[in-house]
Amino acid sequence: MSDTTDPIHDAIQQALVATAPDRTDLDWDVPLSTAAGLDSVQIMNLVMEIEDALDISVPMDVLADAHTLNDLAKALGTLIQSQAGGSTA
Amino acid sequence: MSLFDKFELLAQSRRALASDGPPPVATPFDRVLSATRGVINGQEVLLAGTNNYLGLTFHPQVIEKAKTALEELGSGTTGSRMANGSYASHHALEAELAAAFGWSSAMVFSTGYQANVGVMSSVVGTGEYLLIDADSHASIYDGCRMSKAQTLTFRHNDPDNLDRKLERLGADAKKTLVVVEGLYSMLGDQPPLQEFVDVKNKHGAWLLVDEAHSFGVFGDKGLGLTEAMGLLDEVDFAVGTFSKSLAGIGGFCVSPHAELDLLRLASRPYIFTASPSPAVVAATREALSLVLSGQHLRQQLKKNMERLYDGAKAAGFQLGSEIPGPVAALILPNRETALSHWHQLLDQGVYANLMIPPATPNGLCLLRLSLSAAHTDEDIDQILFALNGIKAQQNKVAKA
Repeated sequence: MSDTTDPIHDAIQQALVATAPDRTDLDWDVPLSTAAGLDSVQIMNLVMEIEDALDISVPMDVLADAHTLNDLAKALGTLIQSQAGGSTA
Repeated sequence: MSLFDKFELLAQSRRALASDGPPPVATPFDRVLSATRGVINGQEVLLAGTNNYLGLTFHPQVIEKAKTALEELGSGTTGSRMANGSYASHHALEAELAAAFGWSSAMVFSTGYQANVGVMSSVVGTGEYLLIDADSHASIYDGCRMSKAQTLTFRHNDPDNLDRKLERLGADAKKTLVVVEGLYSMLGDQPPLQEFVDVKNKHGAWLLVDEAHSFGVFGDKGLGLTEAMGLLDEVDFAVGTFSKSLAGIGGFCVSPHAELDLLRLASRPYIFTASPSPAVVAATREALSLVLSGQHLRQQLKKNMERLYDGAKAAGFQLGSEIPGPVAALILPNRETALSHWHQLLDQGVYANLMIPPATPNGLCLLRLSLSAAHTDEDIDQILFALNGIKAQQNKVAKA
């Protein structure tokens, strides 16, 4: 996990607490679906919590490329920046 | 290093389900005797894990029509609808489906899976959006993957969440197709369709309802939840399957938009596959006629649903839906209990479906019982007797 006040990291950490309470200490660099042992439904629920926390909508193709929590944090940052730039999603 | 290494987790899951008895996943049937009876591992069982909601698979008229078509038109079309695979009977079935809904257009696909993939991958494209319920069937997800549209999900059966997602899309909401199902087959729950319609109207979005499990079951004519809720004027597309209430194999999309016909030129799952065989089409046309006039079948199914739901609740089981439906999903605490209950039910002569993660929503472990109009009161009582026996044994172990 990452110790930071970054809102994206905070949202991910809070989402982990809500959707996978027994996995809140997982390594942010391990693949979510294999090493971290989260199934596709848990990952989906995790993302929905993050969407609510950050008031964004995360397209499915963004998730497809985010294999670890750090990938996800990076992708969310890019998404938020692009939305601020005027594109929708 | 092998190309198959990546399947090891799946292989482990399968090994965890192995036992001396029949496997609970892909259970081999020696024979199927009727809409409600089959033989598994030499044992005759009551079928409570099929999608044969109206019990039409052995209906003599359906079988007769299929036989006649087989003899007169041959065993297969050997070609795509775009080439040599469009027979008069395919067009007739499409016309009958459109007429049933009172809409202008219908398309027949070779499977229900292809109907969803074929519509979703073609009707929305680049610069447009698919906004789907998170608990959608795999065919909806796969259609989204194949589409060039951007896919977003909203929380299961949550119109407020849909509203927020459409709000975020702004003007793009008008080029968004919202997708919901008429009945969710894992938990047997239904969507708040009126609320979803209100939300999509507020934002000017389009709406597709997948009536795969609700067609034949709900509505005066059996057209599904949309008809039952009086919302046929509010929906842009209804998708369905022939492999449940219609007792065959295939799928369809019906729409009040005449432009649906253009998908025949654009939908790859429609174009690049052989069309349904003449026997399947003939059987489906007959089954459709029986569905449309099948109020008595729906009444019997409703009676069966209520009897099973009431009995299962009284036995102490938690169900996936408060409202009785053709699917009764027993929510069980873990995989081991679900597996054990599945075997106990089979020992009592009842075949059900074991449903475990990742196929289930929220990691739930389920025993899925599905009903048919062909089930009798005695059949439902046999299921309930078995469930009560399982519960009694469970309580005995808990006290020991």
